[in-house]
Amino acid sequence: MFKFIKQYAETTDGISIYPIISLLLFFFFFIGLLYYVKKMDKAKADAISRIPLDEQSSASENFSRNN
Amino acid sequence: MMTTLLPYAYCLTTNLFLIAILPQTKTKTTYMQALEKFQYDNKIVRNFAYATIIWGVVGMLAGLWVALLMIFPNWNTTFGLGKESLGLTFGRLRPLHTNAVIFAFVGNGIFTGYYYSLQRLLKTRMASDLLSKIHFWGWQLIIVAAALTLPLGMTTGKEYAELEWPIDIAITIIWVVFGWNMFATILKRRERHLYVAIWFYIATFVTVAVLHIVNSFELPTSFLHSYSWYAGVQDALVQWWYGHNAVAFFLTTPYLGLMYYFMPKAANRPVFSYKLSIIHFWALIFLYIWAGPHHLLYTSLPNWAQSLGVVFSFTLIFPSWGGMINGLLTLRGAWDKVREDVILKFMVVAVTAYGMATFEGPMLSLKTVNAISHFTDWTIAHVHVGGLGWNGMLTFGILYWLIPKIFKTQLFSKRLANTHFWIATLGIIFYAVPMYWAGFQQASMWKQFTETGQLKYQFIETVTYMKPFYAVRAFGGALFVVGALLMMYNLFKTVAKAKLVANEDAEAPALEKAYSEHTSEHWHRRMERKPVPFLIVTLVVILIGGIIELVPTFLIKSNVPTIASVQPYTPLELQGRDIYRREGCYTCHSQMIRPFRSETERYGEYSKAGEFVYDHPFQWGSKRTGPDLAREGTLNLKKSDSWHFNHMDDPQAISPGTIMPAYSFLLDKDLDTAGTAAKIKAMRTMGVPYKNGYELYANKDLMEQAAKIQASLQKDNIKVKQTAEILAVIAYLQRLGTDIDKNKLAANKN
Repeated sequence: MFKFIKQYAETTDGISIYPIISLLLFFFFFIGLLYYVKKMDKAKADAISRIPLDEQSSASENFSRNN
Repeated sequence: MMTTLLPYAYCLTTNLFLIAILPQTKTKTTYMQALEKFQYDNKIVRNFAYATIIWGVVGMLAGLWVALLMIFPNWNTTFGLGKESLGLTFGRLRPLHTNAVIFAFVGNGIFTGYYYSLQRLLKTRMASDLLSKIHFWGWQLIIVAAALTLPLGMTTGKEYAELEWPIDIAITIIWVVFGWNMFATILKRRERHLYVAIWFYIATFVTVAVLHIVNSFELPTSFLHSYSWYAGVQDALVQWWYGHNAVAFFLTTPYLGLMYYFMPKAANRPVFSYKLSIIHFWALIFLYIWAGPHHLLYTSLPNWAQSLGVVFSFTLIFPSWGGMINGLLTLRGAWDKVREDVILKFMVVAVTAYGMATFEGPMLSLKTVNAISHFTDWTIAHVHVGGLGWNGMLTFGILYWLIPKIFKTQLFSKRLANTHFWIATLGIIFYAVPMYWAGFQQASMWKQFTETGQLKYQFIETVTYMKPFYAVRAFGGALFVVGALLMMYNLFKTVAKAKLVANEDAEAPALEKAYSEHTSEHWHRRMERKPVPFLIVTLVVILIGGIIELVPTFLIKSNVPTIASVQPYTPLELQGRDIYRREGCYTCHSQMIRPFRSETERYGEYSKAGEFVYDHPFQWGSKRTGPDLAREGTLNLKKSDSWHFNHMDDPQAISPGTIMPAYSFLLDKDLDTAGTAAKIKAMRTMGVPYKNGYELYANKDLMEQAAKIQASLQKDNIKVKQTAEILAVIAYLQRLGTDIDKNKLAANKN
């Protein structure tokens, strides 16, 4: 592990790849995230958002039961 | 390439792990579970709430004290409080103030809201009352230990991580207790879904653990003294990766969790957009961890790392504002309530301050803006908009809401709470406005040249110009403290005639337990039911994070060109450096000359990464209340030994108008030479090239160098004993910057 690090640490050539990798990773991560959120059932999201207001019974269980 | 990817892989692993533990309700359940009765533990909530109030006032008073010291530098001495043993100097109290407000006030504030909300969001009591108690008392003991050691000068010299190694270990243990109890509670929940607030709590736990462990790598030389394992540029990068993320994961993410719970509760309506909160969470967690280098712009940190920090920091504005908008829009259709409800008023100001601070933060991370703001009071204004506005006001709002609830009573006086609100809001304005003004003014005065190309202002002129601003700031701070005291009184009266509902009755249906392990079941679903594997995976994620976060530090090693003339400190200089650190000189003096003409003209050659390779810890500082000292021992900055002696004894006599406090006790106090050998050995262990066995005769060299300075002072009719600490301090100050100076001299000879 340390040999591997040391070998890499001897040079910083190619460091310019950082921003490109960042861009690609973030791009795909956020595309995935937005897709997940977009596909998320609105009724389910509403039910979850009511959890703090519903102290006595289980909000998401209620949602599940009612659907 | 693999190494390049590792940080991202870690980030993805952490995020995927966290997203994995969020249970997915994909199958429709048709069962009807019987209601189970249980009780919420309100006692732990009350205890943390009391601790929040008490430590909050203590931390704010320490802040007010240091603010007054910046107007009346000899305030301590005047009232007979200048003795070293009292530890009331600016350099020692400032770390106490920052630690108290961050870890004691905000820390206890987090745990107050966390213990209240977690139980209710999961519809269960905490898994272990004992662990809750250990968490509470352990955390308070850590705070007491900090309050005792910091004024005594026991500090690691790294901002916001000043506590010495035994306390660091205690923090680690207590943090694990907190996390264990949280995960155990999550596992026994009655609510299948983890509400977004809990994601923020989990992210806080995991990330703070990693940050604390990595930044606290230190080599002890005695029970309450250690050296940072890292040196110079690497130490700076690790420290500000930690420092920035302490803001992110201690002052921000847990408070966002609290916002997502308590704002809907106070407004009695769900959060504006749950979907937006999901994006807010992931984007924030994803971006924050890499933004640390924006604290080191234009320093000796390699440029690529600075640029990376800038990009991540700027992008942070989007998730931060997403969160702020989500918070404010939660009040849509309920703004009439804000007029009436003081709790909502506190919360609205808090979220607005969050928005202001998170707009300003990305702007400050732009290099052009940072060139102006860095080292000035602008930074102080920025952090206090966040600290007083976001953390302070949200904490007050939560306390006003929560304490009457757990005591089943009404707030003693809404009118008094309203007064508190207005006093605190005015306090923030009186604090921030003069500090912004002072910041612009400092930067402008530092950078101005005359028509003939000379620096227009002496540094001392910029200091004396600041005094009125510091006075108004202290007034603003005092208002804020008065407000907190009003709250203390109001809440005291509220609980005085009420009785705590220590165990609050509740009921909820149990989760279906008879899960068949069918093939389509998520791996995490199985793991959720087995706490040990769950915790092991959590631990592994923390360890992976720790290891991988070291990689950039190793990487940078190749970016620190060695400078042949840079030599280890002599034993006397090393001791002097330790006194510099003990007295918190870094809280007012930087040791980092940025590559601007205004700085190189004033302080000499800009700082090189290779100059700091033996600096355990680095002492670059983050504020220039006094001038930079990186080249204090060189060229036109060099002063005589007697100048330093007299300046430490009576700064105002030597430099009229200065706000530097006197350090007269250094003139008499004996240097602890018994610790020299251990310090030399520790340094050698960390790679500083002292010869083997040098520790055996290091004190001989130390005394010889001290004798030389003693003789030099004698020439100016100053008598001082050879073992006085002042000699070590003078040796260190005279050494600063001379390595490069030697280079120049050699080059001139050639």
